[in-house]
Amino acid sequence: MKTKRIIRDSVLKGITYIASFISIIILVAILFFIFAKGSKGLTWDFITGDNEPKSYTISILSNNELIENDKYENYAKRFGVAFEDSVNYDKEPVVKIVFVDDKSPLHSVIDSITGEKVSVSEGFYFTTFIEIVDDNGNTDYIYAREGAKVASEKLANAKKIKDWALSYEGGGIRGSIITTVYLVVLTLLIGFPIGILTAVYLHEIAPKNRFINILRSFIDMLTGVPSIIYGLLGAALLIPVSQMVLQTDSIGGNVLSGALTLSIMILPVVIKATESALDVVPKDYKLASLALGVNEVQTTFKVILPNAMPGILSAALLTIGRVIGESAALIYAIGTSIKDVVSIDGKGTSLAVHIWSVMAGENPNVEVATSIAIIILALVLVLNLIVKYISHRLDKKFKGV
Amino acid sequence: MIRNRDNKNKNIIVNKTVKSFLLLATVLSASIILLIIWQITKNGLKPFLTFYDGRKINFFHFIVGTRYSTTNYQIGFIIINTLYVVLLAILVSVPISVLTALFIAKIANKHFSRILTTVIEVLAAIPSIVYGVFGAGYVTIIVKNLGNALGIVTAGGISVLSSVLVLTMMILPTITMLSITAFKSVPREVEEGSLALGASKIQTYFNVTLKAAVPGIFAGIILGVGRALGEATAVSMVAGNLSSGPSFSLFDPTRTLTSTILIGFKETEGLDYDIRFSIGMVLIAIILLVNFILNYFRKRISDKYEN
Repeated sequence: MKTKRIIRDSVLKGITYIASFISIIILVAILFFIFAKGSKGLTWDFITGDNEPKSYTISILSNNELIENDKYENYAKRFGVAFEDSVNYDKEPVVKIVFVDDKSPLHSVIDSITGEKVSVSEGFYFTTFIEIVDDNGNTDYIYAREGAKVASEKLANAKKIKDWALSYEGGGIRGSIITTVYLVVLTLLIGFPIGILTAVYLHEIAPKNRFINILRSFIDMLTGVPSIIYGLLGAALLIPVSQMVLQTDSIGGNVLSGALTLSIMILPVVIKATESALDVVPKDYKLASLALGVNEVQTTFKVILPNAMPGILSAALLTIGRVIGESAALIYAIGTSIKDVVSIDGKGTSLAVHIWSVMAGENPNVEVATSIAIIILALVLVLNLIVKYISHRLDKKFKGV
Repeated sequence: MIRNRDNKNKNIIVNKTVKSFLLLATVLSASIILLIIWQITKNGLKPFLTFYDGRKINFFHFIVGTRYSTTNYQIGFIIINTLYVVLLAILVSVPISVLTALFIAKIANKHFSRILTTVIEVLAAIPSIVYGVFGAGYVTIIVKNLGNALGIVTAGGISVLSSVLVLTMMILPTITMLSITAFKSVPREVEEGSLALGASKIQTYFNVTLKAAVPGIFAGIILGVGRALGEATAVSMVAGNLSSGPSFSLFDPTRTLTSTILIGFKETEGLDYDIRFSIGMVLIAIILLVNFILNYFRKRISDKYEN
């Protein structure tokens, strides 16, 4: 009888062990997958580069003096440029520029077709050939298929580059990073204060009556609204509003309409976080202040809020986390076109929507998506850790836990 | 003396102004839900009331039909598929969540319990787009391989099963966290009573604590169902684009209400745009209805357990 019970107990205990283990497996699998796929593509060029691919045709004279550098293997001294064999998006072999010296003439060249000023930098590549003229005035060709080593050797003897079709692959996320920053700042400026004020009113000042109860239940209902619905609201109402504010008549969303949508979306989060921050402040503080003859508003702003400040900071961090992670609402409220030049009245994608854009097409690009996912994950996790630390400190301060 | 009175008057005015300003912010926050309902209904009813190139959508066909394309906007089967996927996700995640919560709250030592709590919190903090990438890049491939092993051809792993797995991962932390709270708030006396009667610790946890925590766990399930019904991005990346249905086979592609709203969204006007609001309207109605039903059951359950 007793052994039977011990066996049964052990089995049940074992089941809870297994169940708990599943969560760990899920987390490890997600982290492992994201890092294994994404870490290789997460380079400085990727973070700071343009997204739009470009191509140029340039011609230029070499420098009179040689630009010394011994760090790179396939390096052409006359032009201060180093090559590497690589492949482009379409997996074609290309010769890629991995280094351009500060003194290189390539930093400022004129596109011979558009007349546009171009600064050749790391990440540019060519797939066809370079037409060069050597010191004796003979024309020669450097073919991309000959590889980086031959290209650097031949270019080292060139007096002039006569014709060079250069491409820039794009795929960088600088524009999306800037858009995300815009959205975070605007949301903190628009939505966050409204949330704080609402929470302060409901928690400290509101009388107990039916009207307030109705307001409260309306706000509670917001918690259950899915983000896609906020997106629909953004598309139907906030895009026209933002167009009116910005005086533009461009079709579709803009960064402001996205920020307005997010401002609404974060309201329940901010209100809840602020209310729990206010909960932590001991009631004695309020009573003591009121007993000294200070009125409610002064008490709230001079006694309660300063003491709730760390909690309100947590609310701000949670807001930032939500904005960084949000995708569905923004797809509707701004759109999915990735932009390199960001302005409040223009379109753009946050990092999360950038992922959606590269995954939603005919050929989903998991590598790029996971590289961005690493950034998002890192930011969100750091923010959450700080929030946890703050609430731990607060508990210590007021409860002595 | 006069100065003092002036100051007092000024104070009262400031006090009143600030208060009404705060009230304004509160009314603004509360009016959002009305704005949502108004805007979604206004735009969502449009396809049934106006003509698009000489055709109007019949609401009855829309709500019960079994075909979805640019010529037939019928979402009956999508509703069924959505509920089916969410139901499966709940069936998978609830036992795992409850057992995990029991382990964290009662069985594990302090150190291990803290680690696991952090794991759950991290899972809860991961944004849905990351789950989507994981789903599209990893889960679908596992499902595809599983299908191959069983001799079933899948659409690259885009399937009911993938959607269920991704949703399970996403609602697991929600239900677990609420279940932990439920287990921790079971009164000690209840457990001590059971232990004093000679039951072992494990027997007590499974027979007494678990039962006492059911109402709290149910609250977690309600939250999880809400999250699963409304989840858009991650599901859209693994669910597929089923054009007629419903389909119940685990390896077939599917289509949920949210994925239908999200996938293929390009234009900013016309029927294909407006119909998405109609689907949003139905989504809200279903979330409210499911919530209402579950809350009814929760009430009955907690009444039962409290008596």
